[in-house]
Amino acid sequence: MKTARRALIVIGALVMTYAVTGALTDADVKGGALVFLIGVLVAHDAVLLPIAIGAGALIGRLVPVRQRAFVRAGLLASLAVTVVAVPLVLARGRAADNPSLLPLHYGRGLLEAYAVIWAAVAVAAVRSRRHR
Amino acid sequence: MVRDVAAGLIARARRGLAWLNAPLPPPPAALRRGPWRRGAFDSKLRSPRLTSLLGAALGVAFTICFVTGLISHFIQHPPFWFSWPARPVNLYRVTQGTHVATGLASVPLLGAKLWSVYPRLFGWPPARSVVHAIERASIAVLVAAALFQLVSGILNIAHWYGPMPFFFTAGHYWSAWLAIGALLTHIGVKLPIIRPALTRPTPDRTGPGTLSRRGLLGTIGAAAGVITLATVGQTVAPLAPVAVLAPRRPRSGPQHVPVNKTAGAAGVRDALFDPAYRLTVIGPSRTESLTLTDLAALPQHTVVLPISCVEGWSSTGTWTGVRLRDLVALAGVDPDDVEAYVESLETRGRYRATTVPPPHVRDPFTLIALRLGGEPLHPDHGYPARLIAPNRPGVLQTKWVARITARSAS
Repeated sequence: MKTARRALIVIGALVMTYAVTGALTDADVKGGALVFLIGVLVAHDAVLLPIAIGAGALIGRLVPVRQRAFVRAGLLASLAVTVVAVPLVLARGRAADNPSLLPLHYGRGLLEAYAVIWAAVAVAAVRSRRHR
Repeated sequence: MVRDVAAGLIARARRGLAWLNAPLPPPPAALRRGPWRRGAFDSKLRSPRLTSLLGAALGVAFTICFVTGLISHFIQHPPFWFSWPARPVNLYRVTQGTHVATGLASVPLLGAKLWSVYPRLFGWPPARSVVHAIERASIAVLVAAALFQLVSGILNIAHWYGPMPFFFTAGHYWSAWLAIGALLTHIGVKLPIIRPALTRPTPDRTGPGTLSRRGLLGTIGAAAGVITLATVGQTVAPLAPVAVLAPRRPRSGPQHVPVNKTAGAAGVRDALFDPAYRLTVIGPSRTESLTLTDLAALPQHTVVLPISCVEGWSSTGTWTGVRLRDLVALAGVDPDDVEAYVESLETRGRYRATTVPPPHVRDPFTLIALRLGGEPLHPDHGYPARLIAPNRPGVLQTKWVARITARSAS
């Protein structure tokens, strides 16, 4: 295993070096990419995850034990869909002369996705109570 | 003499290695507060097995995205050893649909994985040795690059470029290599933990009634399923009616095909309708200049081909026009061994011209199309003439074609 480990680590380091030198020598990649790289890391680790963990703790205090797992599952799935949907709902990418770009009502679409998720959660919760 | 030098170098290397692995003094214990406290994260759902399972799934997903993404990059910037066939007609469409669908489905996967290893961000002491600090830095690179890929990808398919202060295609490409390199190193470092975690059974220590490991994995899978169902209809047309979060619908657009760059955005609206429009075909010894009427008088052929975008959407159209190989033959060139440099009326822009490689020039399905769905091309679809070739990215299907230069392939 030791050779496999060493090989993976060395090859990975070489590939990372290729990526960094490539990005530094590419005129299209300005410092903005580095800012974005650090930005997503900080936004996720210092903002998004603490909020999610805090919400999980809150559920632990507010939701009765029997429903807790289902509520957590529903919120997890809802969060995942929301992350994908936010840029579409904000629709900043729309262009006045191109109606084929972002043609749908995404706010409504997100609500429909939530409805599907929470309907599934409700069905699962009811079925689990029956099985007791 | 040489032996002394060698012995000296080896001794220095050993000292260097010892220094890298030497324990660093820990920070004062009074700083160990909040999330750094022992037992600050007490969820019993976290385990090496959960982390390894999520990691394996992410590894597969990122590999799929990497390979399909590289294909798209190589078609647009072909290295000397790369060749891409003209058939099957739908191959590129499938690779890009898979790329975007896999990337979107990775959102809940990455979220769960980062949650499961979050306590390690607050490990104490923060750096046990220099080697440990380097390891932690490489994890930071992996997390940042993985997030970069998913976030930039989502912003791109929504056409929201404001938050990205770089050219998306280049940033996404280099960050892909960064993520894959960091992933390889990560697997190498963690292999002694991954193997037993995946092979030996680990009991689930979560209490009854709380979210179990299976429950979490099932939820992640279901979330990925909802995201996929809500978006993949942008390329898998039968699923379009349920794709409530798809950035495109395959039949939504002029002549039932979506548009990326409009004639207005390309700045060609005036040039399109100029009665002096000519399509110039240039060969090594002859040049032909054709009006729209001349083009319509040449033998017309009809093909059914998709426009397949790197953004993961695709749409099939029925195109009628002149075979590219026939036009090239008009200029006195053998169409079986030639590449064509196709230029647009667009005067500026990265994609104003494309090079059509020999397999595509040769293929009878490659047209300079004059009609879509039986009607003359809409200006946003490339009126008066556009290139349409099988198994090619939409961005390389040049619109508002003005000039074709046939060059020998070698």
